[in-house]
Amino acid sequence: MPLKKTKHRPLPGSIGRVLPGVLTLAACLAVWKAISLFFYPIFFPGPEVLLERMIAIYSDPASYTVIGQTLARIFEGFVISMLIGTALGLAMGLKRGIEIFFDSWIMVLLTFPAICWAFLSVLWFGLSETAPIFTIVLIVFPYVAMNIWAGTKAIEKDLVQMGEVYKADRLLILRKVLIPQLMPYIFSSLRIALSLSWKIALVAEAFGVGSGVGQKLIYWFQDTRVDMMLAWGVSFMIIMVLIDLLVFRTWARRTFAWRPQVAT
Amino acid sequence: MSAYRAHNVQRSDSEVVIAEEPATQNLTGSAAITIDRLTKRFPSPGSGDEFVVLHDISLMVHEGKFVSIVGPSGCGKSTLLNVIAGIESYDGGTVTIHPKAGRSGAEPRIAYVFQNPRLLNWLTVEGNIHFVLQAQNVPRQKWGELVAKNLEMVGLAGQERNYPLNLSGGMQQRVAIARALAIEPDILLMDEPFSHLDAITARKMRFDLMEILTRAKPTILFVTHDLSEAVFLSDNIYMMSTKPARIFKRVAVDVPRPRKLDDSTLFDLEKSLVREFFSVVEAKA
Repeated sequence: MPLKKTKHRPLPGSIGRVLPGVLTLAACLAVWKAISLFFYPIFFPGPEVLLERMIAIYSDPASYTVIGQTLARIFEGFVISMLIGTALGLAMGLKRGIEIFFDSWIMVLLTFPAICWAFLSVLWFGLSETAPIFTIVLIVFPYVAMNIWAGTKAIEKDLVQMGEVYKADRLLILRKVLIPQLMPYIFSSLRIALSLSWKIALVAEAFGVGSGVGQKLIYWFQDTRVDMMLAWGVSFMIIMVLIDLLVFRTWARRTFAWRPQVAT
Repeated sequence: MSAYRAHNVQRSDSEVVIAEEPATQNLTGSAAITIDRLTKRFPSPGSGDEFVVLHDISLMVHEGKFVSIVGPSGCGKSTLLNVIAGIESYDGGTVTIHPKAGRSGAEPRIAYVFQNPRLLNWLTVEGNIHFVLQAQNVPRQKWGELVAKNLEMVGLAGQERNYPLNLSGGMQQRVAIARALAIEPDILLMDEPFSHLDAITARKMRFDLMEILTRAKPTILFVTHDLSEAVFLSDNIYMMSTKPARIFKRVAVDVPRPRKLDDSTLFDLEKSLVREFFSVVEAKA
């Protein structure tokens, strides 16, 4: 749809849209740089120092093994959390008995301190691959379940009744009537689950397994090297944001193509 | 007729009884739906009492006929359709649905057009029709032909890949009608399908429905509160009153088709029915 031309917009469309963002970013970098002038670079690095460190990290092939290990753990924890959480949320939304039973348990899990799970899983599973994944799943799946459960409250019963009138079986109703209505909730769960998973993965790695990005963070922490901690943290954050942008948003855009106005 | 009714009449559980034998012929053709002394109660909220929604309803719909049930809102018309569709239980009497002659043994196919289109907005127009075809276990190789034929019939050829939300309300309701006809139903239930459309669209849709029905010929049970709509469309009209819902009159509309909207016989019939309606309603009040 062509944008309505106004007198306040002398710049060509694309530049006009990008410019405010660029200016904000430039201002932030300037403030950051200014503050950093008062500190040692290893305590509060300026933007150019951070960039240098990140380049150093990415030019070392060994870093990719470290990042790969962490990504694998996040992925496993994330997928398991999504599966358990979606199944439980759906079950709670569709079956009154299950809802009553799990109602308070979800709250218990949500309020249990994350750090306790991290310690407990180290004690129970030792320095194994299971420990960080266990921690991620126990912390993340209640959020997913809660979100999907809320989504089931918004299901249009009229459409389910339509399916029943035409004698659609439960599986067909689930696939074509229920799940599509839950898609907005599933997408928000995906994003919550991914962002939580990666944060928890790093904590779990720092306390437990002694490998992955989390281990790098604790290593540089013990060396009081803020620059390196930030370089690892920020570069990993960039990867997660890219996953969100390239995978989830594209997927969401395709899923909601039926809506006259695409909202992602 | 009495042969099968004899063993069905005792049943008071909530199952829609399906006649095991092809419908028997009688003077006016074979029956498609027989409802005998149907009673339905809802528990009243608060007190332990029950509220009678449908009281002693008996009616018969003959195969290939267009039968309307007319009554004020809240008289239990929709509940009656839901009972026939098998999605609502009942407390007494029998509901018998007979498979179309020549399709004996098969479970009768029931299609339902609701007040709102009730389309799955995330599926294309074609996908919505596929949904019911899959639900009814229609073999996949027939889908293409059934979609094309029925969309063409409701005047939406070429809209297969479009999404419902890109269509107007009237077009969405046409998709719902195409969806209903696609399963080649024995019985088509329609619950005030035009009441949410503007008057001009609704009139056009009524006209087109008549046209469609000269090609596809399902048995139709049509619920409405609009007497002129009922008179224009129906072969038979059952008039219902409220509290409890009961049928107080059955009228035959013996005007040949195609009918004109300004047909004076139809208009006179409508006038007399309206008068009768008010006398019954006022007598109660």
